[in-house]
Amino acid sequence: MSWRALLAVAWANLKADRRAALVDAAAAAVGAATLAIFVALGLGVGDAARRMFPADARFVEVVPAQVSLGGLLGGGRLDARALARLAELPGVRGAWPRQNLVVPVAAPEPPHGLEAAWPAGMTVQIPVVGVDPAMVADDTRRGVAFTDVTDGGPIPVVLSRRLVEIYNKTIAPTWGIPGLPAGLDPVGLELPLRIGASIIPGKSEQRVIEVRVRLAGLSDRVPLYAMAFPLATVQRLHRLYNRSDPGYGQVTLLADQPADAPLIAAAARRMGFDVDRTEQATAERVGTVVGLTTGALTVLALLMTGLAALAIARSRAASVAARSREIALLQALGATARDVRALVLAEALLLGGGGGLVGVAVGRGLGLLGNLAWHQLLPDFPYRPEAILSFPAWLLLTSVAVAALSAVLGALAPAAAAARVDPARALS
Amino acid sequence: MIQLTAITRSFTDEGRELEVLKGLDLAVAPGEVVAVVGASGSGKSTLLAIAGALDSGFGGEAVVAGQRLRGLSPQALASLRNRSIGFVFQSFNLVPAFPALENVLLPGLLRHGRGEPLDALRVRALAALDRVGLAGKASARPARLSGGERQRVAIARALLTRPALLLADEPTGNLDAVSGEAVIRLFGDLAQEGTAVLVVTHEERVSRVADRVLTLRDGRLCP
Repeated sequence: MSWRALLAVAWANLKADRRAALVDAAAAAVGAATLAIFVALGLGVGDAARRMFPADARFVEVVPAQVSLGGLLGGGRLDARALARLAELPGVRGAWPRQNLVVPVAAPEPPHGLEAAWPAGMTVQIPVVGVDPAMVADDTRRGVAFTDVTDGGPIPVVLSRRLVEIYNKTIAPTWGIPGLPAGLDPVGLELPLRIGASIIPGKSEQRVIEVRVRLAGLSDRVPLYAMAFPLATVQRLHRLYNRSDPGYGQVTLLADQPADAPLIAAAARRMGFDVDRTEQATAERVGTVVGLTTGALTVLALLMTGLAALAIARSRAASVAARSREIALLQALGATARDVRALVLAEALLLGGGGGLVGVAVGRGLGLLGNLAWHQLLPDFPYRPEAILSFPAWLLLTSVAVAALSAVLGALAPAAAAARVDPARALS
Repeated sequence: MIQLTAITRSFTDEGRELEVLKGLDLAVAPGEVVAVVGASGSGKSTLLAIAGALDSGFGGEAVVAGQRLRGLSPQALASLRNRSIGFVFQSFNLVPAFPALENVLLPGLLRHGRGEPLDALRVRALAALDRVGLAGKASARPARLSGGERQRVAIARALLTRPALLLADEPTGNLDAVSGEAVIRLFGDLAQEGTAVLVVTHEERVSRVADRVLTLRDGRLCP
C-alpha cells in the first residue's frame, strides 16, 4: 500500500471513531504540551543562570598560596617569572596577570551626563585592578583603546558586565536614583577620578592626581567589585607612588580545551599556587541545580508522554480487537501483514503527531501567557530574564516528534496483533 | 481457473481434531458458475477460504488462477487475492467509515507494485458502481444504503480489479427477493465475460443459474 493510501485509510478509520481518536489525541497533546513547557522552563532558567553566573570551563584562576613554603619550592609569589612558567604549562593557550592597585582611588562626581543618577555629595571609593589588555581584547574593540595612556588623556577602563545590571536592578532602586537610561551604550562614558584620595580619614596619599577615565568596554572577565585599568597603568601608578611591586594578585590561564583545565590546575598547585574556583564552583553548582531540576521536569514530562502513549496503545489494541473483521477484509482484498501493521502504526502516528502539534501550540500559547505574567507580576531584579519560558524551534519540533514516536511505539503491540489476524477465521 | 485436488483441512476444537474436508476435489473453469450447497458446518466457508488463498493450512493440491498456492509467500498470496480474486460475503463486509466509492477503491489502494494513479482508479471505481446500478450512490456511506445496495457495492468492489475468479459466500442470504435476483443476474453476466464464479449457498434461486450444483457432504463434494 502506498503511503498516501495508507494515510487516507488510517485517517478514515480515525474519523469513524472520532470520540476515541479525540481522547487519544488529547492525551498526546497533554504529553507534548507538558514536555514543551517543562523543558522551556528549564531552558529559560538555565539561560538566566548562565548570564548571572558566567563560567567558561577553559579558564583557570591561579592565586598566590595562602600557606606556602615560598621560594624554597619556587612557588608562593605570583610574579613575572611565575607567569612565564605558568604560560609554558602544557595545554595553556594564554596567561593573563592581574594586579591590584594599592593606591586609593575615589570618584567624587558622577560620570558626565549621568548627574541625575548620583546622590549629592557622594564620593565613592573604587577598588582598581590592572588587567592584561589581551584578556579583555574581545570586549574592548569599540573605539576606545585599552592601553596605558601617558599623555594626560582619559585612562581607558573596563567594568564588569554584571555591574551595570546590578546597578540598574539593585543599587539604583535602593538609593532611589534613576538607573542607566534604557538603550544607552555606556562605552565612551567618562568619569572624573581622584587617584590617591581615600574616603577614610588619614588614608589619602600626599599626592592626589585628578584624572578622567573613559569606559572602553564591559567584560565578564573583570571582577564585579573593581574598575579594571590596563595592567601597565597600574604598574606605572605603583612606581609613581613609590610602591614596591606587590606581584600579581591573580593569573588567569586559558586552556586549549575544557578537558585540559583540571590538568593545568593540578600543575599550578604543584608549582605552589592555589587555584581560585569560587566563581566556577558557584556557576557549576547553579548549573547542576538547574540541570537536575530541568532533568527532573523533563523526566516527569516524558512520563506523561509515556502515559499518553500507553493510553493510545490501549485504545489501538481495543480498536484492533473490535475491527478484526475489517482487518480480515483488507487482507482478503490484498493487504499484507505488513500493510495491516503499517495501517495501525499510521493511525497512532496521526494521533500522536496531530495531538503533539496541538499540544505544542497550546504549550506555546501557555508559555506566552506565562512570560507575560512573569513580565508584569514579578518585580525587577538583576539578570531577570525577559522570558522565563524559552521555546526554541528544536524544542517545538522535538516535542511533536516525541509525542508521535511514543504513540507509534505504544502501537507496536496492537499493530503486531492486527497483523496476526487470521482472515479465514475472522471472515467466517 | 480453480483446481483443487485431494484437499484436506482439520481444526482443533477443545483438544479434539475435527476433519472438515476429507480429500475434496473441485475444478471450476473460466466462465463457469459453480454453486456449492451443504448443511451448516459442512465446510463450505472453509472451502472458499482455501480457494480464495486465505487459508494455507490445508493438505492436498490447490491451483488458483494458474498459481499453485502451496509454497507461495504471504506477500504472493496477498498479491494473488488482490489481482485475481474477488470476494462477496453474506454480510457485505464494507468499511463503514468509507463512502461507497472509497469501498470500491480499496483493492486498488491496496495494490502492490502500484502504478495506477488515483484519478484513474476513481474512474474505474465509478464505472464498477455504474455497472451495478449505483453510480448515483458513490458518496453514500454503507449505513445509508439498503442491504441489496450494500451487496452491489461489494460486487462492484470485487469487479474493480477485473478478477479471473469470483468467490461468493451466501451472497443473497441477507437480501430480499428482488435484490437477490439482481445479484444473481450480475453473477451470470460476469460468467459470460469469462469470470469463474464459485458460490457457496443454500438458496435454490442461486443454484438455478449455476452451471453445476455440488453438495458438500462428509468433507467431499458430490454432484
